[in-house]
Amino acid sequence: MSTIRVRSPASYWLAVPAAAWMLGVVVVPIVLLVWVSFWGGRTFSTTSPLTFDNYARFFANQTYVKLAMSTVVHTATLMAVTGVLGYCIAYFLTMKVRSPIWRMALFLAFIVPFWTSTLIRAIAWIPFLGVNGVINQTLMFVGVTQSPIEAFLYSRTGITMAQVSLYTMMAAGPVVYMLNSIAPALREAAMTLKAPPLVVFWRIVFPLTLPGVVIGQVLVFLNVMSDFATVATIGGNKHALLSNLVLLFYEGSQIRAASVVAVLLMICMLIGVVAALRVVDIRRLGADR
Amino acid sequence: MIGWKSRLRLTGWLLGTLTVIFLIYQWLPIFTLGLLSFSGPTGGTTFPMNGTSLHWYEEVWRATVMNDFKPPLLRSTLLAAACAVTTIVLSTMAAQAMRGRFRGNGWFFYLMLLGIMAPGILVGFGFAIMMRLLGVELSWDTTTFLVQVSWTLPFGFLTMLAVFNRFDTRVEEAALTLGASRLTTFRRITLPLIVPGVIGAGLFGFSLSYDEYPRSMFTIGPDATLPLAVMAQLDRQITPEIYAIGTMTTLFSLIAVTLCTFGLWAMRRSTSLRRA
Repeated sequence: MSTIRVRSPASYWLAVPAAAWMLGVVVVPIVLLVWVSFWGGRTFSTTSPLTFDNYARFFANQTYVKLAMSTVVHTATLMAVTGVLGYCIAYFLTMKVRSPIWRMALFLAFIVPFWTSTLIRAIAWIPFLGVNGVINQTLMFVGVTQSPIEAFLYSRTGITMAQVSLYTMMAAGPVVYMLNSIAPALREAAMTLKAPPLVVFWRIVFPLTLPGVVIGQVLVFLNVMSDFATVATIGGNKHALLSNLVLLFYEGSQIRAASVVAVLLMICMLIGVVAALRVVDIRRLGADR
Repeated sequence: MIGWKSRLRLTGWLLGTLTVIFLIYQWLPIFTLGLLSFSGPTGGTTFPMNGTSLHWYEEVWRATVMNDFKPPLLRSTLLAAACAVTTIVLSTMAAQAMRGRFRGNGWFFYLMLLGIMAPGILVGFGFAIMMRLLGVELSWDTTTFLVQVSWTLPFGFLTMLAVFNRFDTRVEEAALTLGASRLTTFRRITLPLIVPGVIGAGLFGFSLSYDEYPRSMFTIGPDATLPLAVMAQLDRQITPEIYAIGTMTTLFSLIAVTLCTFGLWAMRRSTSLRRA
């Protein structure tokens, strides 16, 4: 017994406002995007004939196809870097730090920046990356180079460096959760049976944390694919990924071209999420093992 | 050949070093931003600082026609407050509804998750097109508000679900057995107990809305919010003034997180005392 009766009409009506809001603001606009991307003709109206011309035009342009490729490569790079880094940090925080206070302090130091503005954190990289930036000043002071390297600000390297600091937490968070749910008895049993530490890790711990790894990778993937703000802040207008192209077309009032890119972005994301779900059954995560 | 015990210790040290290096890597830009915001009037966007002063904070305060951050700041704050209140009401209702396990609650849950998964650029762009087709004028207090709530609401919903998961239903049962109506029980018993969680959901909504960029960008209309004003200024010229705003925003978020953590901690403490 509780303040709400199971399967009562009241429970249904309480959910209606939130459901209507999400349907109207998230689902309908995304379906609309797909529809608009097929619109032909000159006018922007619902009576436009449907064609594949917008897509044909996109794929006919080598620059755009190359951009799509480099977006995929860039995203894969970030997934690899944040994945490895995030796993190491998650493993250290949950398995190696014994004192609860230290663990809490390190964990907070790790996740707190996540709560501040991503845009501001991206901007915070500007004083580091410029020609006279902190990194170049340090390199010249140490004597690694004589003249400043121009490879940081307005470059792919700079974007990657900033995004690694922004998104490693997303790769690590789910792994921390999975590591915490492993019963210590499992590892002890394996150790008692004389398995060396590396085998224990590879055969016991890692498979059990795999769902966490996959979910972290999905989060990084989705965020990097759609993060045009960091690319614009650090890459200037020299570098662009698919998401920046949406913005570029939108600002140029090429709505149909923008929606083509948006739909392609959406397809990439769907493929990524579906592939991840084939590895991990997300609905079984909460269930007891 | 070293024994496995010392090898374990070695891995611990290696991973620990990596973690510390990453933490420095993560925090250093934030501290640098804070430090540089206090540079002198001739200070540039990087070191050397050319003296220390509050010049750039004064600059933020002293508005010019071209860059005045106060109206966007006011708009962002009002918008975030509105999102927080809406998130609180709707997410509490939705989480209470989930307790009733209504038909289709699985779909409802995935619908809310979709709000978190769907990238802001797609939602914002799609919504802007929809408004254009419907002939609705874009404005920060209507269209941007609608879109931002679709982003803050799912987070509030997950928070409230977690709160109700830890909730001891026996106190409700006691009140109902003693003849209180469901509405009275909710108002007098349930609500006071979940208040820290509700505040957490509200702070979540506030900070997510306050920092939101992509969703606002497509749906904003003529008057910008703070992140948009910062981005516009970044396009024109980078001065330590942006660093000053960034520092203030970051401090603001940090205070909100601290309050949020403290609220949840207080709630856990009060519920565990009751169980004992």
